[in-house]
Amino acid sequence: MKPSWWYRFLFFIFLTVVSVMAVVPTLFNFDENSKFPIKSKMSLGLDLQGGLYMIMGIDFNKVYKDEVISYARKIEYSLNDIGVKSKLGDVDVTTPDDPAHSVVLESAADLDKAKARIRDYFPSILRLTKEEGTKLTYGLSKVIKDQIQSQSVTKSIEVIRNRIDEFGVTEPEIVSQGKDRIVVALPGVKDIERAKDLIGKTAKLEFRIVNDQVAPTQISAWLEKAKTAGVVFKKGDRWSQHVSKINEFLKSDLPAGYEIAFERKVNKATNETTLEVPMLVEDQAKLTGDELADARVQIDQQRQEPYVSLEFKSLGSKLFEEITGANVGKRLAVILDGNVYTAPNIQQKIGGGRAQITLGQGNFNQLMQQASDIALVLRAGALPVQLDFQEQRTVGPSLGSDSISAARLGGMIGTIAVFLFALFYYRFSGAIAILTLLCNVLFILAGLVGLGATLTLPGIAGIALTVGMAIDGNIIIYERIREEIRRGISNYKAVEAGFGHAFWTIVDANITTALAGLCLLNFGTGPVRGFAVTLLLGIVATVYTCYFLSGLLFELYMQKTEGQDLSI
Amino acid sequence: MMQIIPSNLNIDFVGKIKLCATVSAFLVIASWILSFTRMQYGVDFTGGAEIQVKFAKAVEVAKIRKTLESAGVAGGSVISIGEASENEYLVRVPGTEDTLNKIEAAVEQSMASSFKDDGVQIRKVDIVGPKAGAQLRLSGFLALAWSLIAIMVYVGLRFDFKYAPGAIIALIHDVSIVCGAYALFGIEFNLQTIAAILTVIGYSVNDTVIVYDRIRENAQKNIGETVTQHINKATNETLSRTVLTVATTLFSSIAMLIFGGPAIFNFFFATTIGILVGTYSSIYIASPTIMLLDEFYASRDKKNQKDEGHKVAVPAK
Repeated sequence: MKPSWWYRFLFFIFLTVVSVMAVVPTLFNFDENSKFPIKSKMSLGLDLQGGLYMIMGIDFNKVYKDEVISYARKIEYSLNDIGVKSKLGDVDVTTPDDPAHSVVLESAADLDKAKARIRDYFPSILRLTKEEGTKLTYGLSKVIKDQIQSQSVTKSIEVIRNRIDEFGVTEPEIVSQGKDRIVVALPGVKDIERAKDLIGKTAKLEFRIVNDQVAPTQISAWLEKAKTAGVVFKKGDRWSQHVSKINEFLKSDLPAGYEIAFERKVNKATNETTLEVPMLVEDQAKLTGDELADARVQIDQQRQEPYVSLEFKSLGSKLFEEITGANVGKRLAVILDGNVYTAPNIQQKIGGGRAQITLGQGNFNQLMQQASDIALVLRAGALPVQLDFQEQRTVGPSLGSDSISAARLGGMIGTIAVFLFALFYYRFSGAIAILTLLCNVLFILAGLVGLGATLTLPGIAGIALTVGMAIDGNIIIYERIREEIRRGISNYKAVEAGFGHAFWTIVDANITTALAGLCLLNFGTGPVRGFAVTLLLGIVATVYTCYFLSGLLFELYMQKTEGQDLSI
Repeated sequence: MMQIIPSNLNIDFVGKIKLCATVSAFLVIASWILSFTRMQYGVDFTGGAEIQVKFAKAVEVAKIRKTLESAGVAGGSVISIGEASENEYLVRVPGTEDTLNKIEAAVEQSMASSFKDDGVQIRKVDIVGPKAGAQLRLSGFLALAWSLIAIMVYVGLRFDFKYAPGAIIALIHDVSIVCGAYALFGIEFNLQTIAAILTVIGYSVNDTVIVYDRIRENAQKNIGETVTQHINKATNETLSRTVLTVATTLFSSIAMLIFGGPAIFNFFFATTIGILVGTYSSIYIASPTIMLLDEFYASRDKKNQKDEGHKVAVPAK
């Protein structure tokens, strides 16, 4: 054999060994502790192992509105710092994608001073959209809106990941798609309802002072009154809407500036409400989650008690100091999406932007659970972005395994038919074709492991179809060889001509298929992308096995028979 | 040496162009009409919820419909999928982003309660909001459009721009007829179908390119023969390859169609039809189009330059 043959042969052996190594852990389902050098296994797509796939959209108009309100508050504070008294006007959402908020100055004399202050303090963030007397209306700048967009996406991804990580789902995929969409794929997740709940939850965190001067009996009386008037919670309603109905109804009874909120816990398994404590809280949040930098569970080493530590951003620290200073002895409710999660007592004025929520005595594990729930809520709440679902696909595990076994059966039958045909029609050359096809499938599987791609149901379809389509390469070569033999030239020459003429045909044919595959990869989503990856891998593997590998084998074959015999 | 197609075959493929063009035009137009009037789009494209539900025992479809009504769902549809003995159904309900989750939950709940003795099992739920549906429609369409453009450019560059329209006409022909078959048999057209159609495009153009390759080779070898002769000769020479490849690919495709399970039926329905139509179009549509274009150019040249003779396309290698 020529030296170049040996090099190519060694390359083939190398490829095969590497591929077998890559595929073995998947085929024999090695666990992580196996001694085998390669650990990575092919991951199955959602459609095969079950799970949840969702696409969430971000409503930027809502985000802009929240931002503009939050900036208005900051304006008020920054004006106050230089001695300009002002009060908040209202939000103007006549153009939903460009909301504005007004600030009314107490004295017209401060107008220029205030405008200069805002210009200097919020450069390239706010723009003055309207000026009517002492009423200044500000909107967001283009720059800050772009920034808010990208931040909203990355923060939402972070928050969703956080929530999912903290509830322990293996191999979640949380990525952005386009400018305003987030794809969440949770393969193998068992409790789909809970996962959906977790992800879909709008994280809007607020800190509000609790009014404990009104007796609980009075609150109960009010609620009873609402109930008898027909404001009742029906199954299937959204709780938050029910609460706002109650407040609407009781508007005239409640003390001004306060509304009713509930500390409510629902048992996820039974859907029963286990706790429903009403309380009277301020109707405006003094401080919201976006002023919060971080929250985490820590353990008091001396007393062996878990607590939640909070850290505020700069403006948040200042606000928190003011709020706690003015309300020592009162309770501060931590409210997520209108739901009170905890309402700790304010023991003293807290400066420096750091605070603790202690949980009192009790079973350590229970307290720990409680603390981590609160920390989770606080952290999730640091991002007030509303996500609305756009697409949601859930697959039960049984469907996936049924699909796999059916597809495997179909694939086997098809493959055996192709193999039998090859043997029958092309005899020994058919056996070579079968060998190259087997290597083809092996390389595709190894490629999937190597790329860390997931095998989806359409992906299996792609592999099954590749077997039928890849033999096309062999057929092109063999038919050409037969043609050449009919012309009466020697076996050697015929094989040479067959391979020589077939190369560009095979390449052209496969490149056009690859173009279709690339378009699919670019525009497809989820399982369809999995198919595109398999198709593209199949094309690379086909060109190698059909042309180079069969060439290698034919050279050996011709050498062994010295060109005398050609079974084709 | 075993042979299905005799090697000395000399069929006049190009000569059948009028008949084939008529038949194909009829099929394509019929497919368009069918596609635009009665195509069953899946929730991927229309938006809505699709719930795949399986029962341990046989149940009546009417009862499922009734359950839907009692869940307060209007305009839902129920179809049986897979083998009848599998008792598996697809329930489709319309809705918008805001309502779908609630509707779907209500359906699941009332299914669970009214079929609790029948071993009801929710196997799969797809909820696609109208916004996402529009997005998916757009990307599906773009994927198809771009692949056609890319293939046209590639064929144009590798062969000659005289060759490209034939390939594209054949592809549009194939895609149309596959779509028409979906509409005719009332099979749901969804994302999987798009993937399958792109595979068909790949397969069909593969077929076309192989014949083109041979036409080019013959045109370079046998200067002096007409384009019609080149095309007929190339098609005859590659015919055994064409038939064999159709056979093997159909083995795979039909085996999956029959045994591969309901989840993948949709995909292989498209590929099975596409492979057949694609092969036909490569032989009878794509290559003869080269001749038509060649005649068109030749007659135009004649008119313009009074140039005599039938120019033979000898594309650059």
